[in-house]
Amino acid sequence: MLRIRLFYGLLIIVLLLWSVGAAALLLMRDSVNRFDARLRTDYQAISAAQGLCMLSATLNVQYLPALAASPPEQAMERLTYDQLKPQLLKKLALIRLSNIQDERTTRVITHLEQTLTNYLEGYESYFAGAVLARSDSEKLLKYLNGQTQQLTALTEDVITLSEERLSFGTSQLSGEWRKNTLFVVTLVLLGTSVAALIYFQLIRHLVAPVAALHRSIEEISKGNFELTLPKPDPGSEFAKVVTSFNEMASELKVRRGLTDETLMRANMVNRAILESIPSPVFVLSDESGIVQTNPAGENLNESLGVNGRLPLKIQNILDECREKRTHFLPEDPREALLFRINEQEFYFLPRIFRFESEDPSQSGWAVMLHNVTHIRWLDDMKTNLISTISHEIKTPLTGIRMVLHLLLEERSNKLDEMQRIMVTSANEDCERLLATLNTLLDLSRAESGATHLARVPLELKETVSRAARLYNHCAADKQVTLEIENEDNFPKILADPVRLDEVLNNLVSNAIKHSPPGGKIRVRVTKPDAEHLRVSVIDEGPGVPEASQSRIFERFYRAPGQSVEGVGLGLFISREIMIAHEGRIGLRERTEDLTEFYIDVPMA
Amino acid sequence: MFPWPDNDDAENRKKLKVLVVDDEPTLRLGFAYALSSKTTVVETAASGLQALERLAAESFDVMILDLRMPGLDGVGVIEAIRADGNKIPVILCSAALNSAAALRAIRRGVVDFLLKPVRPIDLRQVVEFVTQPDTGALSRALTAARAGRNHEAIEILEAVAAPCQQVRSWLKLLQAIRDGQAGVDDPQLEEELRASLSLLAFNAVP
Repeated sequence: MLRIRLFYGLLIIVLLLWSVGAAALLLMRDSVNRFDARLRTDYQAISAAQGLCMLSATLNVQYLPALAASPPEQAMERLTYDQLKPQLLKKLALIRLSNIQDERTTRVITHLEQTLTNYLEGYESYFAGAVLARSDSEKLLKYLNGQTQQLTALTEDVITLSEERLSFGTSQLSGEWRKNTLFVVTLVLLGTSVAALIYFQLIRHLVAPVAALHRSIEEISKGNFELTLPKPDPGSEFAKVVTSFNEMASELKVRRGLTDETLMRANMVNRAILESIPSPVFVLSDESGIVQTNPAGENLNESLGVNGRLPLKIQNILDECREKRTHFLPEDPREALLFRINEQEFYFLPRIFRFESEDPSQSGWAVMLHNVTHIRWLDDMKTNLISTISHEIKTPLTGIRMVLHLLLEERSNKLDEMQRIMVTSANEDCERLLATLNTLLDLSRAESGATHLARVPLELKETVSRAARLYNHCAADKQVTLEIENEDNFPKILADPVRLDEVLNNLVSNAIKHSPPGGKIRVRVTKPDAEHLRVSVIDEGPGVPEASQSRIFERFYRAPGQSVEGVGLGLFISREIMIAHEGRIGLRERTEDLTEFYIDVPMA
Repeated sequence: MFPWPDNDDAENRKKLKVLVVDDEPTLRLGFAYALSSKTTVVETAASGLQALERLAAESFDVMILDLRMPGLDGVGVIEAIRADGNKIPVILCSAALNSAAALRAIRRGVVDFLLKPVRPIDLRQVVEFVTQPDTGALSRALTAARAGRNHEAIEILEAVAAPCQQVRSWLKLLQAIRDGQAGVDDPQLEEELRASLSLLAFNAVP
């Protein structure tokens, strides 16, 4: 459609161009021709008039002197006259031919004709011999002179008229030229307006749709698929483009609808999962605060009176995580935080998980508060149960042990051999049972954790020397030497002296148990970092089997094939105590056949 | 009531009278059996109240008192008899000594502690230590402390040239009690006591 319009428009322009050119050429040629014709006729008239004048002058020169002289004797030869007369008439005919335009000219020419006729009649009468007398010749001469003068005046009139006409023709030509200019200008203006029309048509039908298309593409790229382009007239070159574009937009809309639906479903599933989790869950973005939570989380916040943000304790841990960029995924229910809700105690174990996306605005943290109140309660119950039972067993056992000792003293009655063996055996069982009960009591004490920890500033070397003193005897029994490596200028540590004693005693007693006879145990105090003092207990025993190394700190774990007695609680209890101290306990990699256990105790 | 070993009724000498207070029958039996001798008679009480009755009825030279008892406990008995002006030496016996109880006992002149389980020999030794103090500095100091003369006890301990761990612990504790007279239940003192509690007991591992 546009193509056709464009074609027609340009065709009009081309036609106009051609017509302007042709018209200009035609007009030019026309005026040239007309000017030429006029020039020629006028020139002819002028030259004829001049010729007429000249011929009459020639006649006069030829004949008048004779006339002025004495009357001729004989008749005048009329050869010259006869020769010139047709020429004169011819000139007159030429003048008449080229001057028949207007009244004035016609009058002049008629007058000229008359005069010439009169003039010629004069000569005719002369040649006829009518002039014989002197007076006649004078009269004729006078008449001829008069006629000649008139003739001359008339030819001059004719020349003047021709010249006038010539100048009039020129001015008429210039008048026509103006008309022609107007005509050409009009044509050019017409062409210009057609060109302008084409320009606007082009804009309307070519540029505007392209611009609209561009706008729509931008809109779509922004995600606005609702937009459709208005349908152009059928037959427009843009019809296909617009149709394709609208199809694409609607296709995208459908696709997005599908994506939206998928997202919606995923969102619903997520919500269902979140809602089904009884623990409070919070999702936080890096920039803003909580972006999602579940009903349990909302309830918690409502009961704590902190709407729209995390409880302070949790926020503190999260801040720490943010600083370190690490997860915080504790397993131990004893790390749970206490919340008082409606005068009831609740323990929540915070699990803080970092999730990262390539788009930093999509990264954030998920915080789940695992309600471990029940687990804690059960754990406390278990600890209390162990403690109570141990105490209850221990009390009568103390009596039994006393009695067995008394029997073995044989103060009043001697025992026979069999009795002694039995009582001795019973006594050994009793001692073993007591040891086990003591360990269980230690366990329950350790498990009651930091709540029962009484940390005071103290000298680590005193703890070390206490342990050494306690076990010197025992070591000597096994021919093992105990050696303390210590510097005096270490700062004080912050620890519960009784608990720390337990840990160190455990490590030293383990070292003695596993030392070969004649071996040496070093108890070394060092300062591994700015915040801790370290006690290393180093023995020359066979070390911990590779497979057991990761498990020795577990509850009731005993390395397989161990000959040494124990229930597998010592290191576990030690670890619990060190954790409660915010300290560390560990096994160093074995070097030079030495086994090194260490504890790091925070400084005061 | 029991066929005491080495019990000689014919002996007319002044015998040491010991009162054993424990709610555990076997322990009462065992303690009594272990201590009874030609020179020692042992009587028993099964509860704190019973012990007070016995103490009101007759006088004893020394009392071995269990800390944990139903009803009136060991510390309760000590406070009751001291309130009556009874200055009998007391050996406090317990499976688990806690610092608060120990502190209350020490303030009332009870400085002898025995940790269960007890061997008969420990029992005999502690009774001897209380009733026939030797000339050692610790023994003299604790005798003074038993009589409530803590300042004298501190002086004796301060005079020790090369104090062992036990002497140091006692000195520190008695000084702390002296310096902190005002606060009866000073939590910080209890904490300090906890550290050395195991060392204060008679049968503590040295």
